[in-house]
Amino acid sequence: MAIENPLGTSPTAFPVLECFHIAGFALAIGMSTLVDLRLLGVGLKKQSPGQISRAFEWWTLGGLVVAVFSGLLLFSTDPDMYYSNWSFLIKIACLALAVTFHYTIRRRTGLRDVSRSTAGLVACISMVLWISVIFGGIFIAVVRPGLT
Amino acid sequence: MLVSLLIWLENLAPFSSLRSSAYAYPIVLALHVSAISLFGALIVASDLRLLGWAYADCPISEIINQLRWPKRLAFILAATFGFLLFACKGEEYYYNPFFRTKILLFLLIAIHAVAFRRSIYSDPAKLDHSLKPPAQARLAGSLSLLLWLAVLCAGRGIGYIVGRPGMHYH
Repeated sequence: MAIENPLGTSPTAFPVLECFHIAGFALAIGMSTLVDLRLLGVGLKKQSPGQISRAFEWWTLGGLVVAVFSGLLLFSTDPDMYYSNWSFLIKIACLALAVTFHYTIRRRTGLRDVSRSTAGLVACISMVLWISVIFGGIFIAVVRPGLT
Repeated sequence: MLVSLLIWLENLAPFSSLRSSAYAYPIVLALHVSAISLFGALIVASDLRLLGWAYADCPISEIINQLRWPKRLAFILAATFGFLLFACKGEEYYYNPFFRTKILLFLLIAIHAVAFRRSIYSDPAKLDHSLKPPAQARLAGSLSLLLWLAVLCAGRGIGYIVGRPGMHYH
């Protein structure tokens, strides 16, 4: 007997989960961008990049956790569709890259004294990766067969 | 009157082509969401400082003053993309209950800004003397968080109301 996913049968579950998802990733990506902008010399200039990332470290991680868990629940409502959706696959690949980059190279760049050009390059890569995740997410509905 | 203005707006060449384009519209939407992420983090960062939940070792005024212009610019960025999305479906949005809610929330946010302008935002240096943020600052920060979170949810809701037939799209 097939077991119905209760999230798929409720009309409000999906949009409510989406709000959690958006709030979570906006917090995580935006906070990460505050550090990226500081690496580019913009924003909280009286603080060092390392100070900013330490101050918001737990809020960034919290946003990421909320986004990932709400995302898993959203995924569970139609796994076959997501699995065969190329925009979703690109999004997940970019997400894996962005998170790895964030907790390795970007973190070390924030804590060390590096040249302006290195800091700028790291900040740009970080922002491009996160924006790709957002674009991948938005385009899931665009490339979904039968909707366009 | 207002509706006929919106119908005129949505049928201007750039907006009607944006509406019917398969890729330009979602690109503007993704840019809107990206700008929201930045703006949201700036809002949360200053509200967390007002609440004393982040950067407690750094004076309130230092954070509020440094984030004032970035917040304004990020808002203009998000609002510009938002306006593009609205302008190409203005008539539909006019009847959309979530869009109306969002406009109402923006009104409340304007009231919030005016109400706390003198006590908090225009001269945050006077909040720096006490160790714990004053009650007024914590109230301003928590209300701001709640209002912007509500705007986010209302914004997501807009896309769930499908335009009814009879829209004057050309």
